[in-house]
Amino acid sequence: MTDHRRRPPRRAQGELEASVLSALREADGPATAGWVQERLGGGLAYTTVITILTRLLAKGAVTRERSGRSFAWLPASDEAGLAAHRMRRVLDAERDREAVLASFVTGLGPEDERLVRELLAQQPSDDADADAGDDAADAAPSPAGRPAQPHAERRARSRPRPGTDGED
Amino acid sequence: MGLFVFLPLVLPLTAWPVTRLAEHHLHPRTATRLLSGLAAVMAVCSTVCLGLLMVVGTAQLPGNPLPDGWSDPEVREAVPYDEFAGKAAIPALLAVALNCGRTLWRHRRVCRLAHRALAGLPLTEVAVLPDETPYAYALPGGRRDRIVVTTALLDHLQAAERRALFAHERAHLTAGHHRHLLAVRLAAQANPFLRPLRTAVAYTAERWADEDAARAVGSRRTVARAIGRAALVSHGAPHVTLAGFAAPGPVPRRVTALLGPAPAVRRRPSLFTAAGLAVWGAAAGAAVSAMSSANAAVTMLVILHAATPL
Repeated sequence: MTDHRRRPPRRAQGELEASVLSALREADGPATAGWVQERLGGGLAYTTVITILTRLLAKGAVTRERSGRSFAWLPASDEAGLAAHRMRRVLDAERDREAVLASFVTGLGPEDERLVRELLAQQPSDDADADAGDDAADAAPSPAGRPAQPHAERRARSRPRPGTDGED
Repeated sequence: MGLFVFLPLVLPLTAWPVTRLAEHHLHPRTATRLLSGLAAVMAVCSTVCLGLLMVVGTAQLPGNPLPDGWSDPEVREAVPYDEFAGKAAIPALLAVALNCGRTLWRHRRVCRLAHRALAGLPLTEVAVLPDETPYAYALPGGRRDRIVVTTALLDHLQAAERRALFAHERAHLTAGHHRHLLAVRLAAQANPFLRPLRTAVAYTAERWADEDAARAVGSRRTVARAIGRAALVSHGAPHVTLAGFAAPGPVPRRVTALLGPAPAVRRRPSLFTAAGLAVWGAAAGAAVSAMSSANAAVTMLVILHAATPL
């Protein structure tokens, strides 16, 4: 129910936080909430700025120091750091996030870890020239200890692949 | 309609053999599309039949809002074991509706929150987040599809492997794998017999993206190395859903598959291999499922129409 009433500010929350943070980063040295409010313009209430700054403080994106009767605020991270923090909160709240977001890799059990290490160890250690040498390494005659598998791969890759994209 | 109304509830079992064999015998793209299609058809049919049973069951409850004629003996005779089946169908269908709704709601919510978390960053395809936890995933929807990756993961990969990672995630987004995954997750909620298809599609979709990435970067080896390295640095969070299985997990199988030759794309699997037989068996199961539920639905409509006092 409350969702309906508060919808516009909620949708803008992430962007508001980001703009407050970027305003702080443009200041030379600590800035007051009033300065941030002025800088942003756009009819933001003073209390809103304070709320957003407090929220950023909880996320570790800003720090503050007492100056006279109010606080002076300092940025502690950039927009990317703030986004990283928010993303972690989203992901940590989701118990089985693999179910929702297809992640690049799933975690490994101890047995899987051994298997992966073995599989990677079978590969020639081309760490140094991994960028340039991948295809060259494939086409070159296999160094000692490499099974006949590169030939199979070369065959598979050199085979004409008619319309691999549209075939089904 | 007799026992036909129960068939779609158990026919998902015919998809189990192909679930086991698809991984090794079908191209990942074919396997993903086939399995998610089968799951969707069978889930819809099974839910339709559950709905028909529920109508019969509800009509027997005292004080129900349905027309009185619907609890007549003629209607009840249409369903074998009408007393038990009808009443059991009510909580079953409610559970299906509730779980599907929750799955859908959570999917939307996570996507929305994740997009909102990125607000304030420039709207680029790749969003790099400074974070010590290594992770990467494709984030569909929002103002544009995005790839989210942390600096911790990028630091552990070489330039070619990073390209492989981005190509993999981009393949997820361009092929819309989240739709396949959502379809099988909903199907698994609709009928528990469809759960193996969910696990299978989660794997074949990753394999599909791996193969696309291998073609994009021009080296299967690089993609294999990228997956292996990424898994080794992010091994802190074991994949719980597969814990307890003796078989190797999805990551070693993906790496092994990439170190082997590229899978062939076949138009139509032969009937005379185990995999071909499994594919055609599952297709027949889905067809029978569709026909039985259509038959049951039409029969039920006719009977209910006749039983409704005008």
